Amino acid sequence: MSVTPSRVPVTVLTGFLGSGKTTLLNRILSEKHGKRIAVIENEFGEVGVDSELVIGAEEELFETNNGCICCTVRGDLIRILGQLMKRRDRFDYILIETTGMADPGPVAQTFFLDDELKNTFQLDAIVTMVDAKHFEQHVDELNEPAEQVAFADLVLLNKTDLVDEAALARIESRIRGINGTARILRTKNADAPIDRVLNVGAFDLNRALAVDEAFLEPEYPFEWGGVYQLGEGDYLLKTAGEHDHHAHEHEHEHHHDHEHEEGHSHEDLEIVLLPLTDATPTELQSAIEAAVRAFAEPATVVNCHGDIAGPGHYAIDISHPGADFTLGIAKAGAYALFCEHHPGEFGLTLQGQRPKAERRFASHHHEDDISSIGISDPRPLDPTKLNQWLDYLLKTRGQDIFRMKGVLNVKGEDRRQVFHGVHMMFDAQAERPWGTSPRINQLVFIGRGLDRAELEAGFESAVAK
Amino acid sequence: MAKQSLSFALEARAAAQLDDYVVDLAWSPDGKQLALAGGEGKVALAEVGEKLSIATLGEHMLGTLALAWQPHARRFATAGQDGSVALWDAAAARQLKRWKPGVGATQALAWSPIGDALATASGKSVTLWSADGDRIHAFAPAASTAVGLAFDRPGTDLGVALNGELAVHRIEKARYETRRYKWPAACLTVNFSGNGRFLASGMADGTLHFWNRSSGKDSQMRGYECKVQLVGWSDNSKYLASCTGNDLVLWDFSGKGPEGQKPLVLSGHTDRVDAFAWQSGGEHLLSGGRDWRLVLWRPGRAREPIDVQMTDGEISAMRWSPDGKRVAVGEKQGRVSLFEVVVR
Repeated sequence: MSVTPSRVPVTVLTGFLGSGKTTLLNRILSEKHGKRIAVIENEFGEVGVDSELVIGAEEELFETNNGCICCTVRGDLIRILGQLMKRRDRFDYILIETTGMADPGPVAQTFFLDDELKNTFQLDAIVTMVDAKHFEQHVDELNEPAEQVAFADLVLLNKTDLVDEAALARIESRIRGINGTARILRTKNADAPIDRVLNVGAFDLNRALAVDEAFLEPEYPFEWGGVYQLGEGDYLLKTAGEHDHHAHEHEHEHHHDHEHEEGHSHEDLEIVLLPLTDATPTELQSAIEAAVRAFAEPATVVNCHGDIAGPGHYAIDISHPGADFTLGIAKAGAYALFCEHHPGEFGLTLQGQRPKAERRFASHHHEDDISSIGISDPRPLDPTKLNQWLDYLLKTRGQDIFRMKGVLNVKGEDRRQVFHGVHMMFDAQAERPWGTSPRINQLVFIGRGLDRAELEAGFESAVAK
Repeated sequence: MAKQSLSFALEARAAAQLDDYVVDLAWSPDGKQLALAGGEGKVALAEVGEKLSIATLGEHMLGTLALAWQPHARRFATAGQDGSVALWDAAAARQLKRWKPGVGATQALAWSPIGDALATASGKSVTLWSADGDRIHAFAPAASTAVGLAFDRPGTDLGVALNGELAVHRIEKARYETRRYKWPAACLTVNFSGNGRFLASGMADGTLHFWNRSSGKDSQMRGYECKVQLVGWSDNSKYLASCTGNDLVLWDFSGKGPEGQKPLVLSGHTDRVDAFAWQSGGEHLLSGGRDWRLVLWRPGRAREPIDVQMTDGEISAMRWSPDGKRVAVGEKQGRVSLFEVVVR
């Protein structure tokens, strides 16, 4: 007797104070897009103009089970969304803005745990705004910014006009380190296209799992590789900025005078230069193994203005802006350069040269205790053992695992099994058939203090024998 | 000669349309008027006669959340998502007063049994007001949002449903001492048994909890497929009714009580039960749900429905008249209808 209309997508907007959430909301509300949007704000608003509705909410946390944080929901959202269900006017989208310090967990869990809401609303995506200017400071000082990034399906890296490219590359790399699966979109004045923010379908099991391929690869000791065609001669490898000799010397003396003061850091960047037969992407790909081996060898330390004498493993001192090094090429040909960090973080360039091909590799910064771990493995899984593993994992580590998603190759199943979860809450279903595409398991865990060895051992235990 | 047993049935009397989702209804003490609360915010008054005639009195922006008629008076109170509480004069069909007791939505209202005090729950603050809306006492802010309020039958205690506990404030002689009944999940309702012996709460963890008020001993009843939001004691305190999915679940508190016993499960609906009400001064129970059915039960006598009536849509609220002879039923599409219990 009851008809089930399609569920209304709900976007959760998180972000630290001042990151630009309000600017984005105002843009969405004032733009002409012909959609009816209800906004649930963390302050008391008033009814918006025309087709929008703005509702104020105060964070009300409710436990649904035995004090478990994974079973905490937002009572205010249950009530307000319940009220929206009673209205005759339907909304196309719901946007929930959380306070800068709010934990997105209970917001997301509300849509898994409340049986009435989950029939009417579909969590669409968690969008986290990051203030490029202050993110690095905030993420070092507080827990919330990293947690908000960890929960995100989409990160809007906002205020990109207030920092330089090197900082943006550094922040993106840090975000990648925390959350290996979120899409990152750079914005200036929260100017993200609305269709990139709303109706993203991140929690829609019918849409393909969007995981950065690089993220699912094994860990490499480098984040970037490029291939150059170089003739015989000297090339200047230089970081961005002007090198100031006076400042350099002064700082040096200063350092001597105050021995107890922390000296400026001596920052090394490890690089590996390898000869190739051809300057092509294929050649770059085939050089990865050699590069991994080279990174395992001891590195030659090269000071500022020093020489990089042909292929090898070097640790170049990039402590100062505008640091430069002379790369001597004795024999013309194709060369691959692998860098420990993305060269964009320092504005590192080989002057006068552009790479013929380049590639990013998964960033494995572990400076944050929140990180992502990906597992990619083709072997079919045993459904019973898989359930046992996931049950155990969620029971013991559910509080630490913020997000989890994956595509699974289950033995005896013709279709892809897809799943996603927030803490212990979990949705899974069979998706489209594998057909002729190669069967592979791709799992991603985002959480605090995750142990790769533990996750891999667990995965191993679920492999069908 | 065979003994003739009385047979009860429901007969439809009148109906009218409220231009809103019916969240709740409240009878005037004389049974001549019905106050109506709408999900989009309407506050209306219906004159009950041969026909039902509805007049809108005002609104709570973004939805009315609570409605309560003042005992022994021609006034009722409403509260809403807008945070305000309003007092309405049913004789003059107008608003008397409106105010905001605190920050946040006002989710619950309760009149003291003699009608001299109105309790409100707004966000984390619970406040006691005089019948004219003057503040009598503001309780210390709770640790969480208060979602339910109820006075016990003598009016000596006020119960508050909170996250992780029921707080019971002693109102008598303005001592305002608080006793806490704790359980690690969100309490969604607070229900005093009429005989004063028990305190019950429907919980967000899908259990029903009750405490023996004198011993403080608590018991938990499990097996619900969803959070327990609808809870109600029968007028004689014999049964504690609740819902799970399409069924009503009744715990029998007569004799040794429900511990270790199986509940009485009443199955008469084909879709979710969204409302039920015990007869005032009687033993009948009425339930309604998404299957458009209005079902009359007499749990002490039969597990089967004693009558079923179809309504025009999904049922969202129902209330018995004070004399226990009629029932007002509200639907999600706004229809309000009256039924009378007749003997056949």
